[in-house]
Amino acid sequence: MNTLSNAPAEHALQGGANVAALISELKNILPASGVILSTESQRPFECDGLAVYQQLPLVTVIPENVSQVQAILRLCHLHRVPLVPRGAGTGLCAGAMPHAEGVLLVVTKLNQILHINHDTCTATVQPGVRNLALTEAVAPFGLYYAPDPSSQIACTIGGNVAENSGGVHCLKYGLTVNNLLQVTMVTIDGQLMTLGGEGLDEPGMDLLSLMVGSEGLLGVVVEAKVKLLPRAPRVQVLLAAYDNVTAAGDAVAALIGQGIIPAGLEMMDHLAISAAEDFVKVGYPTDAQALLICELDGTDAEVEEQLALVSECFKQHGAYHIRIAKDATEAAALWQGRKAAFPAVGRISPDYYCMDGTIPRSQVGHVLTRISELSQFYGLRVANVFHAGDGNLHPLILFDASIDGELEQAELLGGDILTLCVDVGGTITGEHGVGLEKMPQMPYQFADAELAQFRRLKAAFDSEELLNPGKAIPTLKYCQEYRSLQHG
Amino acid sequence: MGDLTQQLVQQIQHAYATKTPLKIEAGNTKTYLGRETSGEVVDMASHSGVISYSATELVIRARAGTKISLLNNLLAEQHQRLPFEPPSFAGAATIGGTVAANQTGASRPWFGGVKDSLLGLGLINGYGEAMQFGGQVMKNVAGFDVTRLQCGAMGSLGLITEVSIKVLPEFKAGHTLSFEMTAEAALEAMLRWANLSLPITGMSHMQGILYVRLQGGESGVASASQFLGGATLTPKVAEQFWQSIREGSALQPQHDQTLWRWSGSSDRPLHTLPNTALINWAGAERWALTQSSNCPADDLIQYQGGDRLAEVYGATSAPQQALQQRIKHAFDPHGILNAGRLYSWM
Repeated sequence: MNTLSNAPAEHALQGGANVAALISELKNILPASGVILSTESQRPFECDGLAVYQQLPLVTVIPENVSQVQAILRLCHLHRVPLVPRGAGTGLCAGAMPHAEGVLLVVTKLNQILHINHDTCTATVQPGVRNLALTEAVAPFGLYYAPDPSSQIACTIGGNVAENSGGVHCLKYGLTVNNLLQVTMVTIDGQLMTLGGEGLDEPGMDLLSLMVGSEGLLGVVVEAKVKLLPRAPRVQVLLAAYDNVTAAGDAVAALIGQGIIPAGLEMMDHLAISAAEDFVKVGYPTDAQALLICELDGTDAEVEEQLALVSECFKQHGAYHIRIAKDATEAAALWQGRKAAFPAVGRISPDYYCMDGTIPRSQVGHVLTRISELSQFYGLRVANVFHAGDGNLHPLILFDASIDGELEQAELLGGDILTLCVDVGGTITGEHGVGLEKMPQMPYQFADAELAQFRRLKAAFDSEELLNPGKAIPTLKYCQEYRSLQHG
Repeated sequence: MGDLTQQLVQQIQHAYATKTPLKIEAGNTKTYLGRETSGEVVDMASHSGVISYSATELVIRARAGTKISLLNNLLAEQHQRLPFEPPSFAGAATIGGTVAANQTGASRPWFGGVKDSLLGLGLINGYGEAMQFGGQVMKNVAGFDVTRLQCGAMGSLGLITEVSIKVLPEFKAGHTLSFEMTAEAALEAMLRWANLSLPITGMSHMQGILYVRLQGGESGVASASQFLGGATLTPKVAEQFWQSIREGSALQPQHDQTLWRWSGSSDRPLHTLPNTALINWAGAERWALTQSSNCPADDLIQYQGGDRLAEVYGATSAPQQALQQRIKHAFDPHGILNAGRLYSWM
């Protein structure tokens, strides 16, 4: 959260490297435009989507090809300089926050779609390819890339792999880990290594899955082969309004229990509904306490069959209003409010803080009630938007950073929500990652032996802890301090 | 049936202290897989039982020694199923072994493999520490994915004590079509149909017949069936066929025969993989039987039969080998867990 200026050029780094020598070697690897040094030019890179955490790196590098990435990693390894990989910087956990004495490696210029194979429904891409750009590129073949995080217009496939990104359709089609066949990564000593394969599985331990969601701590992904899905011939969106959140939560559990897995199933609470409707004016019932948005897809016959079942189930569980989109335009409008929920909340509060816990579906009612109590205790409003189908909550804590102490209160409230998620059998992060942000909650979710196992695993890839240090996996010392604070 | 975690922890702690090699066993249905290994037996068969099952959460948590057949029966009572269609090997296969061996059935391209349904697990590492990874919720990205790393590790990174699995609703309707065609024509048809949004859950070709399984809602299956044409198999014949694919009985090596498996890009030309006897997973998995132990093509693995002390999973690049050895060391510093089962060097 402190914003440091650049280290002086003659300064020797903690690892012993001389800054001037390091920069000079980076300039040998990259064209002049690929090495960014000035404070002003590095400003856009000082944080990711969680802007309360900021830090200028020592130097920002923007390689244009894989050999440059390899050379940069070899150099960092040689000089023991920390390296933080970054995609589009849309992450929400400060996972891409730079290191004051480190190199920030930005992959956005590695942005080529290398191959699309419409026979096998696969694509091979570089890490800087934007998520939505991939879906647009394969659309002429009737295909799309399923993971669709809210930031899909800007976020990169490399970042998606690092965070195991999901989105509104992962209920049916899975997260990044379920839609990936192979990655090529550069190890900390600059070697290229391919994990996974051309097919659906490989013999031996699943290193590909280990790499997914590893938050840049194990290697730098320079190529990914992803699965594509055929577009369903029909997509149907419907909306159901409820006068209490528990009923909406019960409807979700009942629907899934009946054996219906929609393509997407989202829920918004009253504050989120009002904010979204004020912003995009799509006709959401603003008197509703909870809204479910459900998307069904498949052949005409499949969708017709499911639509009847879903409408009936929603009604049975107390929906007082159901709206079935008549056409694609209306469907897009119904989604628009949900997709614009974060910026909409941004309009009614100077700042907001987005959380990402996941809980068992049966706990939705209890957790929302408890969040509401916490909200009153801290005196901060909370709007709830979430992937109801898979229990992934995104409580948005509204605060004003210009008021002294309010950010700290928001962080405390956020921390309480995350530990609440763990208490009911869930997790502190469903899709945003741990990064720097959720380090304090890691010792709450994991025991010392488990954290030690994570650290040994990290060391198997990067024994000197140069890749994205200080993120995702807390050190033993950090955990001891955390626990003594909790008990003190 | 019960929770033997404490005993298992003690056994591994003792083995760690004495550097005693251990061999993990439960249903003993997968001895034909991987390399031959020896050691003091860790018997998982009695560490069994369902810990929790909530039909509306679509999650079941069971001890590793729980039989697949028991899970299938329990799920069927609630009209649910294991999405990855694992073999049950006459009722003896267990969920722990299934995860460790990464065994997946015919629906793999459409409903994913073991890793796609695996939400979390309990693991005892080579130090004898009992740990929990992942969870029982659908999405969880806290910490490294130690859970999925175990899929296919054949117990070499730890003893799986319990697993949480995402389950799915049973299909309301099912239908298998058959088409008499050559392997070449079948592969072409599989690639074409896999590209369409149809409720297909299996496409296999064997002995001149392409089998296409449709499963889903009544009307979706009916309209897809009409669209694809072909002959309809009776439910009994269809079940027998898919069972033979799932249980591996469709292609059993006899006497000195060796069964080879290939997993790769579904558009791989047929002629580049000699002796192919079964095409599964819409072309992405192929099986070959040979009389000798000589590998018919580079990227096949020696699945069953032949010399089980050979490097049955094939060659690994030097940097990958070194990395996997470091990972093994991170979990099992004395190399006591199923040593050599995956590779001679691990």
